Amino acid sequence: MWQKIRDGVNIRTGLSELIDNKLKGYRVPSDTNIFYTIGIVTMAAYIVLAITGYFLLMYYVPHSEHAFGSVQKIMTVIPFGWFVRMIHIVVANLMVALVFIHLVSIFFMGNYKKPRELTWLIGGLVLLTTLAFCLSGYLLPWNQRSYWATTIVTNIPTAFPVLGDFIANTLRGGETISEITLTRFFSLHVGFLPPVFLILVGLHMFLVWRIGLSVPPLSSSAKEEKPWTGYRPVSYSKSYPFYPNFLLKEVSMVMIFFVVTFFLITFMPMLFLPEAANMPADPLKTPPHIKPEWYFLAPYQMLKMIPNKFFGISIQLIAIVIFLFWPFIDSGEERNILKRPLILGVSLILLAAWFVLTVMGRYS
Amino acid sequence: MDRRNFLSLLLSVFGTGAFVSFAYPLIRYLAPPTANIKKIRLTFNKSDIGDAKEILFQQTPTVIINRPGKGYIALSRVCTHLGCLLEYDKLQRKLVCPCHAGVFDLEGRVVSGPPPKPLLTFPLRVEGEDITIG
Repeated sequence: MWQKIRDGVNIRTGLSELIDNKLKGYRVPSDTNIFYTIGIVTMAAYIVLAITGYFLLMYYVPHSEHAFGSVQKIMTVIPFGWFVRMIHIVVANLMVALVFIHLVSIFFMGNYKKPRELTWLIGGLVLLTTLAFCLSGYLLPWNQRSYWATTIVTNIPTAFPVLGDFIANTLRGGETISEITLTRFFSLHVGFLPPVFLILVGLHMFLVWRIGLSVPPLSSSAKEEKPWTGYRPVSYSKSYPFYPNFLLKEVSMVMIFFVVTFFLITFMPMLFLPEAANMPADPLKTPPHIKPEWYFLAPYQMLKMIPNKFFGISIQLIAIVIFLFWPFIDSGEERNILKRPLILGVSLILLAAWFVLTVMGRYS
Repeated sequence: MDRRNFLSLLLSVFGTGAFVSFAYPLIRYLAPPTANIKKIRLTFNKSDIGDAKEILFQQTPTVIINRPGKGYIALSRVCTHLGCLLEYDKLQRKLVCPCHAGVFDLEGRVVSGPPPKPLLTFPLRVEGEDITIG
């Protein structure tokens, strides 16, 4: 019976040929490490978010008078509503962490170097889109934290002369966060950002597939890569097939990701839900010590410490532009970061500064 | 100008026209409507020196303070740094931002912290115990 179905599908689609050529025939360097699997784990996280987000949409009401109540109803009345929302919250936070880890590991392995500059650039845009997802998503429960964190973030463009106020008011749909902002962010979160994200990830995966995975810089076969003077099919001295070898490695990492997700939901359910997240939004009262999500703590703390708002925000924007276009700035051929002490030192200092600012933002 | 170049030019003109007629309404659609100017009247007890009342004026959270020796002032409560709402400290006679610790005096001037400019003030008129803002 099963064989008959397989044969039927095969005759009509040529599936076996597709698997043999495109999956088994696709080669992956045999000395890849676990960091090479983070990309697919991120994609799995996005799929989980899309599914749980769709289920949350069934009960969520995007209206300032009902949004908080509808979220409370999901958490307390709807059967397993808490479970669906908790998965959405935890996986959203883990996804940001995954994209960060993915980019940091790519950076330290020097995998952004020629011919993979565009892959890095699009990966950076995926990170920014993920942060836009988070920003637009956390206003939706319409609680004190989401309301005031969004107030802070949407005020950032006002630092810029001439167009600053226009941009801020266009983002919010008015002078302050209101009903219009909620529907605006809701439409961004469920209507605009998903296709943008999928297009970017599609381009990213296309480039990874087209160019091929890079060989780890410390691997013995890394030295055998010829200079890239023109496009050519990638070849490795030691490799194995993508399917089943590498795919199994990726699926194992996805399983570990689910273990972490369920561990956090079970044993640390309040990790991403501070007290202000359980109070309805009050537009006339800013709660003391309001803090954004952990991934915005470093820029938030930086704005706190730098007295000039324009200067503080300009530094952050310049840092984002440098980050996105880094492969075009650092265009040397040497990929092994251990042989580049200056880059290694500066990047470690920057990582440490980001960590320190995050801790300071959390506890100050 | 030959036929091919003329058609290219025509296509560019129509293309630009179509793009502008599509983009302009979209940008206008996103731009928020401005708030209607209104007046608000409220009553203060003149003997309550240092007291403050919080209201919503033109969609802006506002505080009216009876300053010792200087009379009333209507100040926006929106911090000019990143938009958090200021809290009036009656004892210290200052306005404090709970987000980044910006401090303003009762004239709306920046005393300390990161706010880049003074607070917005609204005109008010005092008639006996009645105050009209706007």
